[in-house]
Amino acid sequence: MTAQVLFKNRHPDRIATLAEYRHSGGYEALAKVLADSSRQQVQQVLTDAVLLGRGGAAFPAGVKLSTVAADAPYPRYVVCNADEMEPGTFKDRVLIHADPHQLLEGICLAGFAVDAHEGIIFIRPEYEGAARILEREIALAEKEGLLGQNILGSGFDFDIIVHRSGGRYICGEVTAQLNAIMGRRPNPQQPPPYPTEKGLWDRPTVLQNVETLCCMPHIVRNGADWFKGLARTESGAGTKIFGISGRVRRPGCFELPMGVRLSEIIENHAGGMAEGSRFKACLPGGASTGFLPAEHYDIPMDFESLKQAGNRLGTGAIMVFDHRTCLVGVTLNLMEFFARESCGWCTPCREGLPVIRELLREIEEGRGKPEYVGVLKEMGRHLWNAYCAFAPGAAAPLESLLAHFADEVQEHIERKACPFG
Amino acid sequence: MLPENLKKELQDRIAAVDHPRELVVDVLFALQAHYGFVTDEAVEEAAGLLGMTPMEVDEVATFYTFVYRRPVGKYVIHVCDSVICWLEGGRSLQEYLSQKLSIAPGETTADGLFTLLPVCCIGYCDRAPAMLINKKVYGPLTPETIDQLLDELREAH
Amino acid sequence: MIKLIIDNLRVEVPPGTRVIDAAEQAGIMIPRFCYHPALGAVGACRVCAVQVLEGSCRGIRMSCMIEAEEGMVISTTDEEAVAFRRQVIEWLMANHPHDCPVCDEGGQCLLQDMTVSGGHGRRRLPVKKRTHIDQHLGPLVVHEMNRCIQCYRCVRFYREYAGYTDLGVMGSAGRVYFGRRSDGVLESPFAGNLIDVCPTGVFTDRPSRFKGRYWDFERTPSVCIHCSLGCRVTVNTRYREVVRVEAAHDPQVNGWFICDRGRYGFPYASSPQRPRSARIDGRKSGVDEALDEAARRLSGIAQRHGSGSVALAASGRVCLETLGALTRFGSEKGWRGPFFRAGPRTAEALQSASKNLEEKISISLKDIEKSDFILLVGCDPVNEAPMLALSVRQARRRGAVVALADARSVQLPLDARRLALRPSQLTAALMRFAGKAVADGGAALSDRARGFLQACRDSRVDPAVDEQIDHLGLAARESRRPVVVCGTSAVAPDTPAAAANVARLLAAEGRKAGFFPVLPGANALALGLAGRTADHGAALREALEKGDVRALVVVETNLSELGFSADDPLLENLEALVVCDCLDSAAGRAARVFIPTQTVFEAGGTFVSAEARVREARPAFRGGTPVAQVSGGGHPPRTFSPDIPGADPLPAWQVLAALAREGTRVSADTLRKALPAPLCGAAPGKRLALPASAPDAFQPPEDPATAADGGLEVVVCEHIFGSEPLSRRAACLQELESAPRLGLHPGDAAALQLSAGQRVAVDCGRGVIEGEIEIVNEMARGVLLVPRLRGIDWHAAADGPLVVAVADIRSVKPNGES
Repeated sequence: MTAQVLFKNRHPDRIATLAEYRHSGGYEALAKVLADSSRQQVQQVLTDAVLLGRGGAAFPAGVKLSTVAADAPYPRYVVCNADEMEPGTFKDRVLIHADPHQLLEGICLAGFAVDAHEGIIFIRPEYEGAARILEREIALAEKEGLLGQNILGSGFDFDIIVHRSGGRYICGEVTAQLNAIMGRRPNPQQPPPYPTEKGLWDRPTVLQNVETLCCMPHIVRNGADWFKGLARTESGAGTKIFGISGRVRRPGCFELPMGVRLSEIIENHAGGMAEGSRFKACLPGGASTGFLPAEHYDIPMDFESLKQAGNRLGTGAIMVFDHRTCLVGVTLNLMEFFARESCGWCTPCREGLPVIRELLREIEEGRGKPEYVGVLKEMGRHLWNAYCAFAPGAAAPLESLLAHFADEVQEHIERKACPFG
Repeated sequence: MLPENLKKELQDRIAAVDHPRELVVDVLFALQAHYGFVTDEAVEEAAGLLGMTPMEVDEVATFYTFVYRRPVGKYVIHVCDSVICWLEGGRSLQEYLSQKLSIAPGETTADGLFTLLPVCCIGYCDRAPAMLINKKVYGPLTPETIDQLLDELREAH
Repeated sequence: MIKLIIDNLRVEVPPGTRVIDAAEQAGIMIPRFCYHPALGAVGACRVCAVQVLEGSCRGIRMSCMIEAEEGMVISTTDEEAVAFRRQVIEWLMANHPHDCPVCDEGGQCLLQDMTVSGGHGRRRLPVKKRTHIDQHLGPLVVHEMNRCIQCYRCVRFYREYAGYTDLGVMGSAGRVYFGRRSDGVLESPFAGNLIDVCPTGVFTDRPSRFKGRYWDFERTPSVCIHCSLGCRVTVNTRYREVVRVEAAHDPQVNGWFICDRGRYGFPYASSPQRPRSARIDGRKSGVDEALDEAARRLSGIAQRHGSGSVALAASGRVCLETLGALTRFGSEKGWRGPFFRAGPRTAEALQSASKNLEEKISISLKDIEKSDFILLVGCDPVNEAPMLALSVRQARRRGAVVALADARSVQLPLDARRLALRPSQLTAALMRFAGKAVADGGAALSDRARGFLQACRDSRVDPAVDEQIDHLGLAARESRRPVVVCGTSAVAPDTPAAAANVARLLAAEGRKAGFFPVLPGANALALGLAGRTADHGAALREALEKGDVRALVVVETNLSELGFSADDPLLENLEALVVCDCLDSAAGRAARVFIPTQTVFEAGGTFVSAEARVREARPAFRGGTPVAQVSGGGHPPRTFSPDIPGADPLPAWQVLAALAREGTRVSADTLRKALPAPLCGAAPGKRLALPASAPDAFQPPEDPATAADGGLEVVVCEHIFGSEPLSRRAACLQELESAPRLGLHPGDAAALQLSAGQRVAVDCGRGVIEGEIEIVNEMARGVLLVPRLRGIDWHAAADGPLVVAVADIRSVKPNGES
């Protein structure tokens, strides 16, 4: 068994209680910083720990906190992104259900680090259960003096509210999420200004993913070196929650050292490939990462190694496909998702994705023409010039399909049918 | 017309925040719970409560998956059709539901009980194939579990 | 200046210039759909992609989203940039219909141009086109959502720029829909601009639908004459008819837009009712014969009763040339007038507004957009000078404070502070405001200015509102670019002068302060500068009553503007009523001699806008009855004649020359030169040379506080649709007219025991106004609002604001009985 940090209090059948969390060292980090740390110290330890954003973009969390200027106007906000809508991703839900106070403490620490007094948890409507847990535990923490006015007698005030989304993938994008919270249409908005300068209601706003925030109490309590030491590789830091699904025996969420090998996750933790299945490819970090072909079966799963392989760790949601899975079909399904969830702002995303989907459908259903491959390649390349990162995310599986599985696409066209039936 | 107690409850919530419009989705959900879906009248009422124009509210209301601007049944079944559920046979389950309820995706049963809406990944890939009924999750699904579930819901009604 | 290279050309632009604009300056037109100079850059369409070869953001970038940098190198012809732009077009065309031949935008369509110029001509995508259900949006704009390319320009104009709320974007992804929540008339009186801003055919012009292609039209630069702002327009004519009017760009005045009155107000010019032949004593005649006969009669009357027995009447819609003719031939012949405005109050208000416009405080609509404090006094921008409302809104969007002092419940597409004041209170209120807005004792001011400041500080309005006014004055202390906008119809006669003095005072303090008058009629400023205050409708009436005037020449004027109703018995006393007009009117029908005149579209003409800008309308076509009316609408026309049918009308100035027996070959230039300074120097495109300072500068009003105890001040209210004499003849605009009702404050209505919907008759001394009561919450107390709309006989109150006693208001039954 590897070191369990975020899942330390995880039970198969119930939520960890506040008492359990405190017993395991919970809220010690908060007490410590409130007693004797400056906001810069908190920012520094997170920066030193090389805590990279776990929501997919991998931006250094400590650096993000430090971009809120000391003399920035008030009020300032911390937004916790619990709008986990990347297909294949469910780690944030598991984290909230496992140990909700870990997240609340993390949000509060981030608040302290930028001198904010309000935290907003933006949560997708599918996670109504998690939203209710959070509301209940927030009330409990307030009662215990761990949130709200004058936390632990320190004079620091911090409130957390749960904001329910109406449900759209684009709301996971930082600027779209801020627009959503403000009751506007959740279209992304290109910086400048950056949210840490002008975010919610034009005030400094720091947005972090659930898992990133959950790491914070542990880093503050145990130090940057400890956190870095948790990783298996030199380039990684900390643990990572890998959500694994698809053609494996035991799909689920596992906390493993950053840099653990893909083969190890599949074989040791997910129970190996499903009955009669051989590994063909996986999406290593959600729908907006590329197909990782079998040659990378042993790749260390951290941000740097996947970058080297021309891919991304994304959210660490591994979707495993076997030798019987039609990857044209998978990509068609992904394009259907992206086309449906586009916010409709820019042309490549709104118009390009449905066209790509239809071309793939033609190929999958045996009506593909040889020239479609070229058209798809061209369009995939042009998706990168969209307004936000949404369409480039869709380009990743498409382009990797065309690059690594060209034969499979070709076979569809030549046979005038899907070879997988 | 909104009942006084609901109106009062919403007004109190709105009065407690600095920026009323940040509650637009919450208010729409509350009115949806009351009316069954977000009616044209509900959009106007939400606008009145929040100090927004009806157009501003509708621009938001029509954007989201879980805000229903058309009538839906008592139970809204959101079947996940994204990649992992698809891989695990989600499409045949959706077809099974369609056949069982005699409705196409997007339709409501004649008795007004069920509406079937395919939806993108609901974040329960570890329980694929999965679906939500009134935001409660079910999965992994088989034709048998679906039969049982529908019977239970019909009976509860 | 920033130096950069675009397609190997050196370009120099001011800092902050977007690359797309920098390229345009160098003559390189980068394609665009969503970008619009007035609506800003949003990066949605992605068709303005360029390759940044050198600069802080290399690679494919949207040229609307990046600013020019020193040393930047841009390529618009780069292979990848061209390929991407072509891809964008292909994607857009995936869903756009291929039916340009049946689309009214065809030929004038940005998408069509880009598709053709980008070389996209072959469809290689096996996708079905998405379809939408269209909405009925009223009589002006047609909606065809299938043509939408989602550039968001429409909502950005309608909501953000213009401030109206009933059009929006709904849905998401490929289903986004631009429209209203349900079918219905667009609420914005600027909705016609949707047609101009839409790069495809989603919004097209309903009245001119399918009446021709862009290349069928003769397009002529012109000026809008439906209010005093002088917006630039383009007139499209075909087959002897104005088919469509579009906004023309003018950076100082209207920017890129115009109002719907200006866009749709032209059908009077081709109305089948338009008089096209001369008449003598009710019988049709040739125009030469009628001119001869009229001249003969006028000179006969002048011989018998003296030359002063012939009077001229004019209005704010005559052009500078006609005004020159009125001035020159009037003085040469010794005729009276020209008479304009209804009476002493409105004449003085116009005069004081015009003569107080001096160089230092005169500003443009563009300057208003840049101001940080705007006080609107007795003016209702949307209804009296619509584009002013959009300029004020742009200032508000940038954070300006906007305040309204008015008797009416003035509606603006922005939030403004309100002071509900009677017209008689406005002058005192303005002065009190100024007293507070100037912080110190005014040591740096001249003696006269200090004297005025003292008068301001002594000014009292009413204890109930003084505090509000003081607040406003204090709020204006910090402003660097304050502006006072003042109307002339709902104010006291001395209010415009006081408004100008307040602006002068703020300017004397060292601020960039401005005064902007809102005037009645396209050429009202010129009339104000050229005319005499004493020559107004009431004076004319007196002269008629006394028998001093025996002949009246009415030039392009509705007698209602002079306070005469159509069937005024006084007109019957005239020995000769000569009417020269392009409109069919009761006076025209009653005229002994009627001479048809040309409209601005045929004659052209020069106009001086309220901001003293000289605007020229060029003749758009030669005149004559529209082909459709001659040939019964068939195409091609099958009625042939050697000359143009219905082409008798002459320019009004030629008519005047003929009446003065000067022959019709008079030059327009000479006529303009006959006007007094500064009008004689008017050069099209330039501003008038205004006096450096007005003679009466800083003259405090004699007795600013005049209360009207016990009575109601009657204010005649202009409406954007239905009041202005030319545009009110447009059928499409008539559908948008408000119901005519008499407005009362709830408190006054209660005191008078009147309720909404009740019918009353108000005796205004010279006539009785009858109508239904409407309770208006935000208006001032002690005021009765009378709409200048059909269905209300408002002429009796035309020289408003006048005061009626409570006893003069009585309730009547619908059939008119008491």
